[in-house]
Amino acid sequence: MTRDAQVQSAIDNWAPRFISNGVDSNDFQRITNSVEHWDDWCQAWSECGAMHAQMGERAEARGNYVSAAQHYFQAAISYHFGKYLFVHRPQELRTAHDHVVAYYQRALPYFDFPGEHVAIPYEGGATMYGILRKPWHTPKPPVVIMAPGLDSVKEELHIYGDDFLRRGMAVLAIDGPGQGEMEFEYPLRPDYEVPVSYAINYLESRPDVNAARVGLMGVSFGGQFAVRAAAFEHRLQAAIENCGPYNQSLNFKNRPSISRATMVHRLKVANEDEAISRLQHFNLEGVAEKVTCPLLVIQGRKDRLVPAIQGERIAAEAPTAELWLFEDGNHVCNNIPYKHRPQQADWMREKLSV
Amino acid sequence: MARDELVQSAIDNWAPRFVANGIDSNDFQRVSNSVERWDDWCQAWSECGAMHEQMGEQAEAQGHYESAAYHYFHASMAYHFGKFLFVHRPQELRAAHDHVVSAYKKGLPYYDYPGEHVAIPYEGGATMYGILRKPWHTPKPPVVILVPGLDSVKEEMHTYGDDFLRRGMAVLAIDGPGQGEMEFDHAMRFDYEVPIHYAIDYLESRPDVDAQRVGLMGVSLGGYYAPRAAAFEPRLKAAIANCGGYNFIRRFSHLPGHTRAAFLYRIKAASEAEAIEKLSAFNLEGVMEKIRCPLLIIMGRRDRLVPPEDAERMAAEAPEVAELWMFEDGNHVCNNIIYKHRPQQADWMREKLSE
Repeated sequence: MTRDAQVQSAIDNWAPRFISNGVDSNDFQRITNSVEHWDDWCQAWSECGAMHAQMGERAEARGNYVSAAQHYFQAAISYHFGKYLFVHRPQELRTAHDHVVAYYQRALPYFDFPGEHVAIPYEGGATMYGILRKPWHTPKPPVVIMAPGLDSVKEELHIYGDDFLRRGMAVLAIDGPGQGEMEFEYPLRPDYEVPVSYAINYLESRPDVNAARVGLMGVSFGGQFAVRAAAFEHRLQAAIENCGPYNQSLNFKNRPSISRATMVHRLKVANEDEAISRLQHFNLEGVAEKVTCPLLVIQGRKDRLVPAIQGERIAAEAPTAELWLFEDGNHVCNNIPYKHRPQQADWMREKLSV
Repeated sequence: MARDELVQSAIDNWAPRFVANGIDSNDFQRVSNSVERWDDWCQAWSECGAMHEQMGEQAEAQGHYESAAYHYFHASMAYHFGKFLFVHRPQELRAAHDHVVSAYKKGLPYYDYPGEHVAIPYEGGATMYGILRKPWHTPKPPVVILVPGLDSVKEEMHTYGDDFLRRGMAVLAIDGPGQGEMEFDHAMRFDYEVPIHYAIDYLESRPDVDAQRVGLMGVSLGGYYAPRAAAFEPRLKAAIANCGGYNFIRRFSHLPGHTRAAFLYRIKAASEAEAIEKLSAFNLEGVMEKIRCPLLIIMGRRDRLVPPEDAERMAAEAPEVAELWMFEDGNHVCNNIIYKHRPQQADWMREKLSE
């Protein structure tokens, strides 16, 4: 079977991410082996999502709620990876997106750590959406805000969330501007401290969590957002950035074409030149040095999307930074989850319990 | 890279099983891509296990117990798949086995559902070992006994166990004769109702579980043991048989070389002829019709180790009690489509044990 360049690129760059974030490895092999043309990608994953959703509905109808949670989650994550970079067909993307959100919500009451889909007041009367989940038997737990990247969404951060929840922390996964539920009307913005500040305002309004102990974790582009927010939002007690770019405009030309198209789409610009120009603002120069809370920088030396040197630069400029550089790590170190995911959750617990 | 036949066969026959039962998929790719010769298999997986065990020790020393559990479990699984068919080098197998048991035990207090390594009195003053884990906040829960197969062990049943635990059932995973902690001194036996009998006696001695509601699930060769035990141990309230064989000698010569070697080793036979002779008793003829409890039979049409017709025959011979879930796209133990039967079988069991 001959695959076109985009399909091959999606597999080469992100295969371990699919699995570590919840796609069944057999599904991954079967579907990536069945798709030749990028145009068919979203459809193939949506069919997989529909299969899981149907199993979820059957389980739910019979009162088998634990099973329903598993199936709905796998449905959501299949639809998500169908649409994550599928920006050239906005209607298909939108349909899949609606399923991501809807099926994840249907699972929410039944997860091992159940949760709520919450509406967070955002600037100009707008609404930002998040998923809040809390640990069992823990009054007013600390909270970790989780920020996705260019092509991830709050639902994809589910398994990261479980790591924090098991360790007694609540999690609030958000779709910021340009992400998930905010990707249709709001472009990506460099000053991500703004959405994070609304998120913390929201947490302060809730009596059931401890808004004085809030951390932040961001992956990929969200890694830059995490550093940025930590520099300007002083209510943050700790932050983790995983493979975030120091200066996103420098990386643009080397990215795969599907990733560049996604950047254009989510920045809401007309073409790649405008994207590069807009990305000048997504730069941590003069920013990283302002971080005052503990900052954990996770970086893979084999990262092909964000050069490892950018992680090193963030760590060098942020006075509070601790760098975990993995020689064998790919982008977001998704190929070695066991070397940083449990460890980062332990790190965060320690910082939020001080 | 040129792999020898046995390495290729291990990958071809069991790849989805590794991941479904707890091996990190990146580890699977990395380690299986690095091994060319079957002789190096156990060593490569043991190194992977040692890496995880070391992370576990570090986490535990720092008081990071959730992480310790995660790492120790990964360590145990990596060592396990190093030794699962490595019978031609018994010392290496034994060393890896010791790590399977000890790393898993170190994780036991820290799992989401913690547990105990329990000693079960067995015939002739011997001891059978098991792992008992219980659901939270549930007084006297029902119990599902988990039975491994030819080359699996109680520790490999961990993720199956979590499915039952999440649904309010306790699990007792056992190493019966020829399996795990009993594979060195005790040969496999066809009358698996005997070890099950001792396991239920043990459960009756415990005040913290409900020994009136005991089910059993067995995979692969354990899928043969399950109907056998269900036929002769009336205290079982329900049983699940996943891809067990009806009659083992018929297809013996078609099995991969290391599987045949594992049969010899674990049935304690000196030759294939002797193994076949001993295996002739592993036959469900006249057995199925004796089953009185509900029996769920799971089978994959693409099973290359056990013929799917065996499951159809089992179901046909126990028409009053058997329910057959045949998956056209399922491989051996249907480990390539776990979402189509694992949650569902746990729901099935919950229903049967609540009646």
